[in-house]
Amino acid sequence: MKNRSWILLKNLLLSTSQLNQYRHANDKKKRGRIIGNMIAYVLMFLFLLLYGVGACIGYGKLGQIDIVPVTCALTIALIAFVLTLFKTNGYLFRFKEYDMLMSLPFEAKTVAGCKFLYMYVKSMGWYVGLSLSMLIGYGIYAKPKLIVYPLWILLSLFLPVIPMLLASLLGFLITKISAGFRKTNIVQMVLIFAVTLSLFFVRFLVEDIVKKDKLDDILMSAKDTMNNLADVYPPAAWFSDAVRDFSVSGILLLVGITVVCFEVLFLLVGRSYREINSKLESHAVQKSFRMDAQKKRSVVSAIAFKEFKRMTGSTTYMTNACFGQVLVVIMGVAAFFVDLDKVIGIVMKNAPITKEMLYPSITLIVYFMVGMVATTAITPSLEGKNYWIIQSLPIDKKTLYKGKMLFNLYLTIPFMLFATLCICISAKAPVLTTVLSLLLGVVLCLFSTCFGCVCGIKHIKPEWENEIEVIKQSAAVAIYLLPNMFAGMALIVISVFLGTKIDQNLIIGAMILLVSALAALAYGKVMRLCRAEGTRLG
Amino acid sequence: MEKQPILRIQGYTKVYGEGKKAADNVTLTVESGDIYGFIGHNGAGKSTTIRAVVGVLDFTEGEIFIDGHSVKKEPMECKQVTAYIPDNPDLYENLTGIQYLNFIADVFRIDEKKRESNIKEYADKFEITEALGNLISSYSHGMKQKLAIISALIHEPKLMVLDEPFVGLDPKAAFILKQIMHEKCEKGMAVFFSTHVLDVAEKLCNKVAIIKQGKIIDSGAMGDVVGNQSLEEVFLEVQDEES
Repeated sequence: MKNRSWILLKNLLLSTSQLNQYRHANDKKKRGRIIGNMIAYVLMFLFLLLYGVGACIGYGKLGQIDIVPVTCALTIALIAFVLTLFKTNGYLFRFKEYDMLMSLPFEAKTVAGCKFLYMYVKSMGWYVGLSLSMLIGYGIYAKPKLIVYPLWILLSLFLPVIPMLLASLLGFLITKISAGFRKTNIVQMVLIFAVTLSLFFVRFLVEDIVKKDKLDDILMSAKDTMNNLADVYPPAAWFSDAVRDFSVSGILLLVGITVVCFEVLFLLVGRSYREINSKLESHAVQKSFRMDAQKKRSVVSAIAFKEFKRMTGSTTYMTNACFGQVLVVIMGVAAFFVDLDKVIGIVMKNAPITKEMLYPSITLIVYFMVGMVATTAITPSLEGKNYWIIQSLPIDKKTLYKGKMLFNLYLTIPFMLFATLCICISAKAPVLTTVLSLLLGVVLCLFSTCFGCVCGIKHIKPEWENEIEVIKQSAAVAIYLLPNMFAGMALIVISVFLGTKIDQNLIIGAMILLVSALAALAYGKVMRLCRAEGTRLG
Repeated sequence: MEKQPILRIQGYTKVYGEGKKAADNVTLTVESGDIYGFIGHNGAGKSTTIRAVVGVLDFTEGEIFIDGHSVKKEPMECKQVTAYIPDNPDLYENLTGIQYLNFIADVFRIDEKKRESNIKEYADKFEITEALGNLISSYSHGMKQKLAIISALIHEPKLMVLDEPFVGLDPKAAFILKQIMHEKCEKGMAVFFSTHVLDVAEKLCNKVAIIKQGKIIDSGAMGDVVGNQSLEEVFLEVQDEES
């Protein structure tokens, strides 16, 4: 007789399997989209492999190949923790088939546990990919025994679990606390931001306390940093001991503690699972509305406003779309309280680079935080089951996407301008440089909005089971995010390099022209995509 | 056949965080063989009560027993004998119909022969056998409703709890569902369902409860509740009286 947990997990995976959809879909267009998504995922996976191998080659050349196992464990732990913290709410709570699952003979802890395992299995490929690529790099330089390879791969499966469980525990506590409030979403978002930001501070505190070193010394010594971090996060040390020294205790601790943590957490979650979901899902209907004068909006503004309400109605959406904005506000304010010259000295490892040479990268650094989530607000996929509302209204596609893009601009431009202005003032940038930087910020927002829209339309997926699939895991997100991230990094490096030779204002001016052209191209593409399927939504 | 209480709701009360009562001291009993209608305005507390019965929602006071087991203390025993169809079933859109039915059959541990014959029987009755290989996302609302009904029937529950089961069903499917309800209840199953279609409730149910603002304002055998009037007249009358 099959175990019910296995039945549920298998079903959850099958229900979102692209392969299953491909096999059974009759719609050719849909099948084509699935293949497109799969190709995109494979390319991203190869990209990830290249990144991992490249990083290891770097360590190998520096003669620091020994730290690769710890680095691998810590990188996976950090990514798994952060991503899970933002996903817990949507995966463990408020999923749309909650009623159906809870009415079936499953224990609450089985449902919660399977939802966690589902989240784990869905992201496992990326973690294993990263681990595998680092193993390849490690294999090239360290030339370990043959047994290391299967052991590394096997233990890699356990690496993301403990950080995911920790993040789930935090997510569970946040949801439990916020469930008692009427404005659950807002409270939840504030708590998630507070936890994440405090973790940043904890990280710095830990580094400070544990190492008793100066920040610049730490940056100079990656080996010490990694080893000290492994002391703070023992699973990384267990993994490293297991694959480097074949430590049986390392293997047993990593596997054993992972299993125990899983069992304990879901025993705990299972006890109040129904209570929390009941609080989240049942509220008294307010009957205090009084009809008064209503405000008229243009169609585009009405769509933008609808998008705003959609965002405030979903914690996952809001945390994803607003986290960068919160960070840049903090960064902008912090710029007035830190010595920028000292920071530049530390980051640049006292290379002969002046503050002035870095002016062109100010906006790009801000963009790094503001512009990375431009697929959430714009994607038509998030309409999900409500897609019919837009489809049935007399709105052409152009108007719809103009509204969505307008909302994204509201969401990004003010924060971009605020942070850029703060840093420019703090860095005592000349007026012309400040104005040009602000202008660059605006065109970067325009570009990210239009490019995000292109990705959203081209990889539309309204038939999702959980909105996280659209917000965090869709092909649109991956295709938008990775090239944007690497292009952003490349631009920062190029602008710093050119800043040593050419006038900064010229560099910023050139970037404005380049990004404006890209934004215009992306906007044109959006309009063409709208035309391609007729004037009404198809 | 001797009637056994299948569902007993005793003093069920649900208070929201804001202090408002969604259900207030609801008490009723559904026996084997009963087709029990649960009627009330939108927001009266029907769905909240139903979701508490099937173990989806927590409640503040009272007890709910299914086949003698407490929903709070022995939820697994209760769910094992219950089938629930929500008003707007959220099925896994990217599974095929047959994959979904097999999932439910696996959960209820139905052996292969029985699941095959049950699925075939009900899928044929509701005329969706040929569509079972397609993704649920391609189904119409009515087809999804039919699939949810089949999934509820294949494990032969003792209690069927349905929230607005006739919404979206074509007339033939609605007729078949009513027929199945009768057949099953003659064999000892019990049905507890909410509806706004008072004509259907009057013809189909042997018992009825009317709920208003979370309180049961009338309940019992259909004949006793309606007397010489129609259910519609009684319903409108009691709604007006209380307000």
